[in-house]
Amino acid sequence: MLVLALALALGVTLGLLTSITVPVALLTYLGVAVLAAIDSCLGGMRAALEQTFDDKAFVFGFFTNTLMAAFIVFIGDRIGVRELYLAAVVAFGMRVFDNLGQVRRGLFQRWGWER
Amino acid sequence: MNDRIYRPALVVVVVVLGFLVAVSFNTTSRLVTARPQRVSDLVSVVRDMESQRAELQDRYSELREKMDTLERNAAEDSGVRSSFTQELERVRQSAGLSAVVGPGVKIVLADAHEVDPDNDPNDYLIHDSDLTAVVNALFAGGAEAIDVNGERLVSTTPIRCAGTTILVNSARLGSPYTISAIGDSGALESFALSDPVASLVFGPYKTQYGLEASISRVDELRVAAYRGSMRPRFASATPGGES
Repeated sequence: MLVLALALALGVTLGLLTSITVPVALLTYLGVAVLAAIDSCLGGMRAALEQTFDDKAFVFGFFTNTLMAAFIVFIGDRIGVRELYLAAVVAFGMRVFDNLGQVRRGLFQRWGWER
Repeated sequence: MNDRIYRPALVVVVVVLGFLVAVSFNTTSRLVTARPQRVSDLVSVVRDMESQRAELQDRYSELREKMDTLERNAAEDSGVRSSFTQELERVRQSAGLSAVVGPGVKIVLADAHEVDPDNDPNDYLIHDSDLTAVVNALFAGGAEAIDVNGERLVSTTPIRCAGTTILVNSARLGSPYTISAIGDSGALESFALSDPVASLVFGPYKTQYGLEASISRVDELRVAAYRGSMRPRFASATPGGES
């Protein structure tokens, strides 16, 4: 758990130190990609807790999720339905909370806080 | 049984996630400070700033006047009006920092009242280029001081188009435009009317499109002082040299 927190801190520090920015037009893409990445990470933790973690599936899932999310935004921009990104946001948002619940339960079991 | 919930792949992806979050944070934080959300916000920001600037300008000219009188008093106190003060006044006058009076011409340019819908509506408006041409012709005719709707033209004055208005110095001016120029009124008039571009405004454009363009000689004309700031950031005087 600590390792993951440190990894997150490392990533944030790297991003802030390099102070990279993206063009404003791409901000929606980035937001949805961030959401997809959060979802993937929580999904990965959940799988690890459930002893079903698979490196290949995880990494592949991370990239397909992120790219698909960006693709949906792109399609929305192209066909003039800007709000299409909401579909990705809602879907990933629900999955995030779903995964979060599972991760929480898994962690509680590991730490013996439950039953 | 593998007890660790962190796998190398998971750790790497979490680093990437943190990076993405930081990048979007960077972008949005810059965005929020640089760009209010709506055009209406922007408009009100511009309004606010313009009124602030107007206040500051008033205060600036007030202070400048005060400084002038103090300087004059100081010079009188010491008994002599030193050549320094006189020189200062002369320079200030030629730089456009004080209002001046004298003979000259008054030119009024205004957009047409009626627009023929079959034609380009731009043809019925006074443009920054028209104003520039007239002003330039006046300077060519030896004008010593010019203002447009009270905006004194100085060495750094831009005249440019800003939407439906014309920007002179940093003031947005709308039709009608009154140009006051001090100089030899006969020369000013003939230069304004013979300049290849300015003459179009007074001639063909006026008759064809109904623009208003009039020029009149005036015996006693007042040209306003420059109200903006004049503090060079990049230019500095050459050491010791007049030229």
